[in-house]
Amino acid sequence: MAISIRELKKDYVGPDGSVVAVVDVPTFDLGDGEHVALVGTSGSGKTTFLNLLAGILAADTGTIRYHFGASDGIPPVDVELMGLSEPRRDAFRGQHLGFIFQTHHLLPGFTALENVLLGMSFTRRAADPAWAKHLLAEVGLADRLHYRPAKLSVGQQQRVAVARALANRPRVVLADEPTGALDPAHAQQVLELIQRLCREVAASLLLVSHDPLISRQLQRQVALADINRAATGSVAIQ
Amino acid sequence: MNLFQLVLKQMRQRALSTWLTMLSVLLGVALAVGTLLIERESAALFVQSDYGYDVIVGAKASDLQLVLNTVYHLDKSPGNIPWTFYQTLRTDPRFEPLVKAVVPYVVGDSVEGQRAVGTLPELFGFDNQTGKPLEGYNERGELLPAYQSPLVDPADRDPAKPVAADVIGYRAGKKYELASGRMFHPRRFEAVVGADIPRLLKLNIGGTFRITHGLPAANETPDVHDERWTIVGVLKPTHTANDRVLFVPVISYFAIGSHKEGLEAQKAIHAGADVYAGTRPATSPADAGHDQPDADHDDHADQAGHDAANPGGPDAHDADADADHDAPDAAKPGGPDAHAAHDAGADHDAPAGGHHHHHKAFTLTPDGDIQLDLPESAWQASALLVKTRGGGGTAQQLIYLVRNGDIATAVAPGQVMRGFFETFLAPGAQLLLLVSILVTIVAAVGILVSIYNSVSARLREIAILRALGATRYRVLAIICLEATFVGFMGAVLGLILGHGVAAGVSAYFQRTLGQGIDWITVGPSEWMYVAGVTIIALLAGLAPAWKAYRTPVATHLVGG
Repeated sequence: MAISIRELKKDYVGPDGSVVAVVDVPTFDLGDGEHVALVGTSGSGKTTFLNLLAGILAADTGTIRYHFGASDGIPPVDVELMGLSEPRRDAFRGQHLGFIFQTHHLLPGFTALENVLLGMSFTRRAADPAWAKHLLAEVGLADRLHYRPAKLSVGQQQRVAVARALANRPRVVLADEPTGALDPAHAQQVLELIQRLCREVAASLLLVSHDPLISRQLQRQVALADINRAATGSVAIQ
Repeated sequence: MNLFQLVLKQMRQRALSTWLTMLSVLLGVALAVGTLLIERESAALFVQSDYGYDVIVGAKASDLQLVLNTVYHLDKSPGNIPWTFYQTLRTDPRFEPLVKAVVPYVVGDSVEGQRAVGTLPELFGFDNQTGKPLEGYNERGELLPAYQSPLVDPADRDPAKPVAADVIGYRAGKKYELASGRMFHPRRFEAVVGADIPRLLKLNIGGTFRITHGLPAANETPDVHDERWTIVGVLKPTHTANDRVLFVPVISYFAIGSHKEGLEAQKAIHAGADVYAGTRPATSPADAGHDQPDADHDDHADQAGHDAANPGGPDAHDADADADHDAPDAAKPGGPDAHAAHDAGADHDAPAGGHHHHHKAFTLTPDGDIQLDLPESAWQASALLVKTRGGGGTAQQLIYLVRNGDIATAVAPGQVMRGFFETFLAPGAQLLLLVSILVTIVAAVGILVSIYNSVSARLREIAILRALGATRYRVLAIICLEATFVGFMGAVLGLILGHGVAAGVSAYFQRTLGQGIDWITVGPSEWMYVAGVTIIALLAGLAPAWKAYRTPVATHLVGG
């Protein structure tokens, strides 16, 4: 199992002092190499859930255990993320996780290649420009290596973001509505890319989407409302 | 991509803002470094202790003026002292035991803006009477191999080697030497010039010049004396103001007609003549002498001279001078030019600007030597450079003795210049330094504001970096490194600019003083300043870095 979540809870305190439960997930598992679609609407706590999984946010209670077997010379990993300090959570994220956002979140001053290399900058491994170029070639941007984001189309920008998320050969890729800003044709292309590259690096994929056309292409679909007791909305899984 | 590449990338992304911030640091540091450097070098320039002489004797007036005029050839001479005092220092039992060497300076005239100084061959290591090298020196004034320099500290001397004759150096341990040509003859219209003169005046060995009275300003009509000197030697560079001086024999200086007249007038005044007998009085004895900045010199000093020497009478002095009164002036075009006979055919154009002609004050022997009409008792010196027999006590003793008399004053140039520097230059430099520190602090605040604004505009980027695995400390380091780098680069460029400014100042000093400054060497205080600015920049970066450190990632990753 790549991720095992138990009794994960996160509350927010509102401006008036009221406490609002946002995430309350008794149990959730993501298998090794498994591609899971997490279906949720606005208010279902999906972004907070992903941020907890990435260690960007700390849970109030509960555990998130990452377990990876040895791979590519990297020793096996068995970590309870919420038990780590913030810097170590950051380091863990940089080392083992890939993150794809709804919008590309590329750095505007950096070229496509540099943005991908940036994804390698916060690990203990040496930067691998050849791998970065390979990834950009895989996403169809071999001839756009030195373009800055502003010179790329929205679809191309998102493809660079996909390449960046895979730059560290992550064990888990977390994708938050990665196709949300794309037209259906481009959305399909990007989804296929993500899945293909995740398979290439043997990464598990947890992809949040509210689009059934996207979510049903993954191995398993999970309604966030079904696993999150704090969710206020739900979407039927088709 | 390492941290430094990341920082450079971020800086390039907002290049204009980065450069402007760097520019503000650069200007602050350049100002500070320039000030530090010029203060240091001015101190080295003016508060030097390595004079080739310990004491300067001159007229009882401003000590500073005496030193500036004698050492740096600046300002005007504060006045003259009787030539006899030069002899007194050499022979009087009160002074003689203290004095190792003494050389007179007679100053006040110029050649196309460069100072002419009348002195004795001894200054250069030659005999005052014969013009031959003193013991231990060759024809160029260089030390002979068999001898050791008298300028070497006695403690360091080789007991087996004879010591060359005592001379006065232009700096401690540094003696004048000729680069080419020979020493001037002590009684001829010849000159030995400083190393810069051939370039400045386009005059080399064999070239001739006439001396202008005083140092006329650009809007003043130069009063050019009739006599013409020939350059016979060029000195090696001394890197002092002396490189821009034309040295001529003292006797030739006194041979200038108007000098003679002034000196005679002064002698007459000292002898009790009625100075008010003339049409206009000489305002002071020194004014009647030649050295004062006095555009009207000819009108009243000469007049006073003639009238005082020949009170109330017609110009009796002409009786003996007219015989070889040479130069055809405007009133006598084409007149006889007897002077040309001994003057190697030099032309004697009418002095420009209505200068009325002086009477000749000398005759020439068949050998071409000057024979002054003026008795030695009427001679005067502007300054005497004295090297004492050693030890600070000797110099102070001499200064005390001379100052106690009523003839002259004596000063230690180092002391005077130190006093001048500490009184006038140092406070100004400190004020300027304070201003530059304030400018640097403003620049540091500029760094803070600039980077704080950039961090505010980059919160999403910082959040992205965090999402990619950058720790808070890494983000803090990135921002601090950026601030430090801006500060450091600004400081280094400022250091370079500051030295560039100092190079300009050096060129100015070189032009005005004949002596530049060391604008290349970076002093410890400058390195400390650069380090200080870098640290201030780092501290200035802490506030925005703290803001970046506290950036909530999740909040800033929401939306596009």
